[in-house]
Amino acid sequence: MSVTRNTAGNPFRALAERWLNRRAPRARAIVLNHRRLFILPTRAGLGFLLMIALLWLLATNYENNLVFALTFLLASVFVVLPVHTFANLVDLHLQLLSTRPAFVGDFAEADINVRREGRRKRERIQLGWPPEGGRYVDLYDQAGTNVCITAPVVARGRVQAPRLRIESRFPLGLFCCWSWLDLDVEFLVYPRPVSAGPLPVGVAQSEGESGEVHRGHDDLNTLKPYQPGDSLRHLAWKQYAAGRDLYSKEYESRTDGRLWLDWELLNGRDVETRLSNLCHWALQAERQQLAYGLRLPGTRIAPALGPKHQQQVLQALALFPKWGS
Amino acid sequence: MESAREWLPRESLVWIFAAQFVALLPQFTQLPLWIPFAWAFAVYWRLEVFRGRRDLPGRTLKLLVILLTTAGLSLSYRRWFALEPMVALLALSLTLKNLELVSRRDAFVSLLLAYFVAATLFVREQTIPYALYGLLCVVVITAALAAQSGGFSARPRRALGLSTRLLAQAAPLMLLLFVAMPRLGPLWSVPQDTAAGRTGVSDSMAPGDFTRLSKSDKPVLRIAFDGPIPPPEQRYWRGLVYSEFDGRTWRQGFAVDPRNGGRVYWKSGERPLPQVGPRYRYQVIQEPSRVPWLFALARPASDSAGVGATTDDRLVKRTPVFSRFAYDVRSWPRDSQGPPVPLSSAERRRNLQLPPSGNARTRAWVVRLRRQGLGASDISAQLLARFNREFTYTLSPPALGSDSVDAFLFDSRQGFCEHFAGSYVFAMRAAGVPARVVAGYQGGEWVSGEEYLLVREYDAHAWAEVWHQGRGWLRVDPTAAVAPERVRDGLESAAGAEFMQDALLPWHRVDIVMKLRLQWDRINYRWYQTVVSFDGDRQRDYLQRLLGEISPLRMALLLAVPTAVVLLGLLLWIWRGGQGGKLSPAERLYDKFCRRMARAGLVRGTGETPRDYARRIGEARPQLAALAQGVTDAFEGAAYGEDQAALSTLRRLLRWRLMLPGSIQRARDGQALTEQ
Repeated sequence: MSVTRNTAGNPFRALAERWLNRRAPRARAIVLNHRRLFILPTRAGLGFLLMIALLWLLATNYENNLVFALTFLLASVFVVLPVHTFANLVDLHLQLLSTRPAFVGDFAEADINVRREGRRKRERIQLGWPPEGGRYVDLYDQAGTNVCITAPVVARGRVQAPRLRIESRFPLGLFCCWSWLDLDVEFLVYPRPVSAGPLPVGVAQSEGESGEVHRGHDDLNTLKPYQPGDSLRHLAWKQYAAGRDLYSKEYESRTDGRLWLDWELLNGRDVETRLSNLCHWALQAERQQLAYGLRLPGTRIAPALGPKHQQQVLQALALFPKWGS
Repeated sequence: MESAREWLPRESLVWIFAAQFVALLPQFTQLPLWIPFAWAFAVYWRLEVFRGRRDLPGRTLKLLVILLTTAGLSLSYRRWFALEPMVALLALSLTLKNLELVSRRDAFVSLLLAYFVAATLFVREQTIPYALYGLLCVVVITAALAAQSGGFSARPRRALGLSTRLLAQAAPLMLLLFVAMPRLGPLWSVPQDTAAGRTGVSDSMAPGDFTRLSKSDKPVLRIAFDGPIPPPEQRYWRGLVYSEFDGRTWRQGFAVDPRNGGRVYWKSGERPLPQVGPRYRYQVIQEPSRVPWLFALARPASDSAGVGATTDDRLVKRTPVFSRFAYDVRSWPRDSQGPPVPLSSAERRRNLQLPPSGNARTRAWVVRLRRQGLGASDISAQLLARFNREFTYTLSPPALGSDSVDAFLFDSRQGFCEHFAGSYVFAMRAAGVPARVVAGYQGGEWVSGEEYLLVREYDAHAWAEVWHQGRGWLRVDPTAAVAPERVRDGLESAAGAEFMQDALLPWHRVDIVMKLRLQWDRINYRWYQTVVSFDGDRQRDYLQRLLGEISPLRMALLLAVPTAVVLLGLLLWIWRGGQGGKLSPAERLYDKFCRRMARAGLVRGTGETPRDYARRIGEARPQLAALAQGVTDAFEGAAYGEDQAALSTLRRLLRWRLMLPGSIQRARDGQALTEQ
């Protein structure tokens, strides 16, 4: 996330966070109430107060009762106003409907249902993750609506979104009523796709894994220097990536012709880059409608096609353990 | 403010212009003509920008405009620190702000300025129409503020509704603050505008001045008595004393006018008051006159702040009367007092002053009478008898030449009060009797059952005062000698057909209109009494009566308790507003069904259609399937088909509350709890 939950280093933030967690615990559905809502004058509200002070000076100096009346009327509006601002948010039902995954560096989306009970209209409610402003919601004619709000994501994996800010300055903009909501929003964040050359079509081996792929027949120890004309499928990518010359592999038995996106193919790069490259390949393969499989240490997804498969593959990439952590 | 850079939506721009227009409209008549035009042009420009036909002015152009307007202001106004240039400056700020109305913050600043412009309206006038108009301004400006949210709240009805509701809810608190907030005096003296035209009795009197006043029926004084009321022929409201005569015009003269050295007793103890109690106690509410003269019966004293008494028995105010001013007066009629102090030689000289030449015939006539051995009172009686025999009281006297006293006494013999008073004093001075002209108002009209006396502009009057050795200054009204009904019944009966004959519409002849006007004046009087003149003293009296004693604790309670009541009431109202209400009967019934199902453990999901819900209920509790289906069918029929039969079916289906297993279960639980 762009705004991390990491509060180390800022004791006040940590304290506030703990306090908030006690006061407004995490839930997928929340009803806004007085315990969760905070209200303070905005800068415009302070300007309004300044104007009231100036009006009072005018009234006092001219000893003018009508100006006094106007001053007191506006001051009373300022007293009554927070109730209205509060009423615009209180008893609002919020529910997390779903989240959509995203790639690192992209925007993740969450669908949230905002619903009012009763007939009181709600206007111009802003919902989002700061510093983004978020979306404005109006519940004027209808009782409920779904909003899609977005947040930029910067880290791979399952990411717990920070608290959502819901705020309203309705009706006059002099007060801001807000709340920090923990709707238990969790995004699945895929690695950022980074190109690593063409798809490794026909390159099908994994030294670490023998077994069914090679069915025990393949002998991978036979490498011969690459000669023009040799099939690209038989290139020893791993050795090449490790900085050695280009070799062709000689297969004594039948090779696996299916497209495998293999962790081992990218040996020598760091973990995140490898995942990014695999992610890119997966997207490309899906686009070119080539059935592809994924091999990661500890994970193996058989080649297939289709959105469900792609999601499975990307999820595996997203959830790959962070090395060194 | 993250929204500070947001561009304004279309509707909010229109709202801002509307608010500015409403606030500026009454000021347009007072401002130099170029300012309204500049405003209109700025609005036009901004709208052109909005349509994409023009750009906002660049920096050079803006600087040029600022220079131009500053130059314009300094040309239009000589003084800077007064109300009028301040209003002009505010109007110009609104105008210039329109040229850079870009963000929400600009809009907000513009609207705050508009509130201020609306407030300056009250500084000029505090009458009921102005108060109502000011209220309208505030409603529109607040609506414009609400419309800045854009979207739904920018709709005219919604914005005005929001604004009215907010202001209505604020009103009780406003009343409370109005009564309870302490009033400090002015923190620094504020300059008032003196440019506006003034009416009323002025500090000089030339023939023809009072005839001008007689054409106006504007109210001047409203006088409410506490105790006895003077008879009509005693109602002489003295305002000015003219001692100096230059052959044509009467003036106050040096050292009479407090502005050039006249002695004024500002504090009540400075001047010895008569031993006996005052005969009359009354409160005068004076309309703005822009001069410091106040009006009262002879020998007045006042304890009101800023009011002083002069040596010639008048009241003056420390600062000119720029807005309605109320003062309390006690009056001792001169005949109720002991022997006066003798006239000082300076006073005697002043009140015998005459121009060295001119009006020879009058002087000769007086000298002839003196030679016949007549005393001061005899000459006065002779003159008054002549007035009575040979003179006519008229509102349209002929023009007089340079020797105006001669021309009046011996040729035209027609005149108005200032002719009678002026020539009488001239004659008395020529005879060696100290005399002076007094100007003010005489009479008044009772409003609604003797509530208060309303004195109008046409009641303006001039009379004389003559010094009698041993008796002091005595009032002589030469006009009474020729037209006694003027003094007794007022100008209307004295002038007859001449009265108000130049008025555009002869309203004074229509009885019902006159009655309505008096009623309106009564409302105005009440308004002034309760609202406009509510000051620190009255506030203390009122709070004393309300609280018993004014202690910090009681004041705090007075402010806090109603505020809390109002806010709690508001919360309650909002909470109730959020409940049920506008749902149709079918929806309400279906809602009831959903709640019962929820109690039975089957909560309707968000966005789940009634049909899906019924199916789910059927799957989870087969014994409820038929009921759920029946309810759903009936609801759909009633809600979407407007089917009355379906509605009654729905109602009938939902009467069977105990058939639901959930509620039976709950009833059992309750029983179990009570048994424990």
